Amino acid sequence: MNVSPITTWEGAEAVFTFADNPTAIMIILSLSMAVTLGTIIASVKHENNTYIDYK
Amino acid sequence: MDQVETAQKIAELQNLIEMSGTINMEVFYWWCTGLMVIIHAGFLAYEMGASRLKNALASGVKNILAFAFIIPTFFFFGWWIYLAMYNGFTPDFEAGAAGLPWSSNMGPNLADNASGIFWGAFVLFAATTASIFSGAVIERIRMSSFIILAIILGSVVWILAASWGWHPQGWLTVDWGFHDFGAAGAVHMVAGFFALGVTINLGARIGRFAPDGTPLPITGHSVPMSIIGLMLIIVGFFGFLGGCIIYTTGGQWTTIFGTPTTLSSISFNTLMAFSGGIIGSYVITRQPFWMMSGALAGIFSAAPGLDLYYPPLAFLMGITGGIVAPLADKFLTNKFKIDDAVGAFAVHGVGGLIGIVGLGIFSGFPNVIEGAPAISFMGQLKSALVMASLGFIPGFGLSYVMSKMGALRVPPKAEEAGLDLVEVPLAAYPESVPATSQDPSTTTTNGSTVSV
Repeated sequence: MNVSPITTWEGAEAVFTFADNPTAIMIILSLSMAVTLGTIIASVKHENNTYIDYK
Repeated sequence: MDQVETAQKIAELQNLIEMSGTINMEVFYWWCTGLMVIIHAGFLAYEMGASRLKNALASGVKNILAFAFIIPTFFFFGWWIYLAMYNGFTPDFEAGAAGLPWSSNMGPNLADNASGIFWGAFVLFAATTASIFSGAVIERIRMSSFIILAIILGSVVWILAASWGWHPQGWLTVDWGFHDFGAAGAVHMVAGFFALGVTINLGARIGRFAPDGTPLPITGHSVPMSIIGLMLIIVGFFGFLGGCIIYTTGGQWTTIFGTPTTLSSISFNTLMAFSGGIIGSYVITRQPFWMMSGALAGIFSAAPGLDLYYPPLAFLMGITGGIVAPLADKFLTNKFKIDDAVGAFAVHGVGGLIGIVGLGIFSGFPNVIEGAPAISFMGQLKSALVMASLGFIPGFGLSYVMSKMGALRVPPKAEEAGLDLVEVPLAAYPESVPATSQDPSTTTTNGSTVSV
């Protein structure tokens, strides 16, 4: 998969993966946010289950 | 050599100097950021040591997770808040564009040597605020609630305060002449007052107060670990304070407010305030936990004017912080029954307050931002009130809602059993503790010895 935004280093600026592909950037960013939020939600559920034995 | 060749040579040399300066700037902040990680090593040791054995690892997990969640959330929205919100609550979308998480500046970019390195330094400042808060709530807060509160503090609240009062165009400086070299307001006051707001709703640990309200000591399982942790925090603060100074290629260092300064100035006053803080707390408490906490309070009490004070004055400011912080903690505990497990509010909140108002007393220095008044007592006092409110109101409000939802605190039985047993599939001292524990009031479960 070619994810390079550049074909030459001459005059290159943003060189990170998918820098020239806003759709891909938004998908990866959204996934990152979802994982972050999902981990917190999973923590809440895990704690609720754990604390059943201590109520 | 003709004139054309000479001009070419001069242009090449100028480019060389500018590139060297840019790379020196990156190198400087890179190592400041690296040093700031030591702050978190310190907080980790400090809080684990201040926890009882049954909670030592859970306190560590909490501290590590704060760091982990601050980094991505600061990428998602924290940096944008800093760049865009310097006017108050009305964002400057144009200025904030470079901080949007999909901006071409927010990743490897050969035309931008500044964004990543400053973002990194600010992330570490953000994580510091969360770690300050973390210590106050050990041994009874729910992990998930802590993570949410830490994100709000580290990636929203403190950075909004920084945009207002620790920014080249922040309105507190433009309108009131606010000056705070070492972020005593945005970092320490905001985090300390946020912690105070949460501890009010969280309540004291079981056994912290007798039924008649008399405070009972709860001693951590390793005071030496805490003391070493505090010293590590001090080491890391040299990176923190280095990160507060602006490197300019070919020019003098400046503060974040654009006023000229030198690293030499910061060296004089940081060390003198550090020393004063230790001495102040020693006089009052005679014990090393507070001597090292006092060292921190001493630095924060001089932090706003580290670029301006005559060093013996910074020493006296440090002594003041070192004396007042333990007394403030005692007052808060005895009078209001607040259980701030490590004195975070007293050290950071009160230390920062002394620092900001103190610079108001010894003020009069001009600002360089166009139209900004000189540093003044009223400007510092009003700004301190803004910082206290920015910390306290969200901390109290959010934790109040969480408390009403029953989501803020672990169940009493879990607290009594110990959070390591309940939450952490690992024992802190699996060999030594069961072997030495003869107390019939302890039980051993899954390799963990637990006080009951």
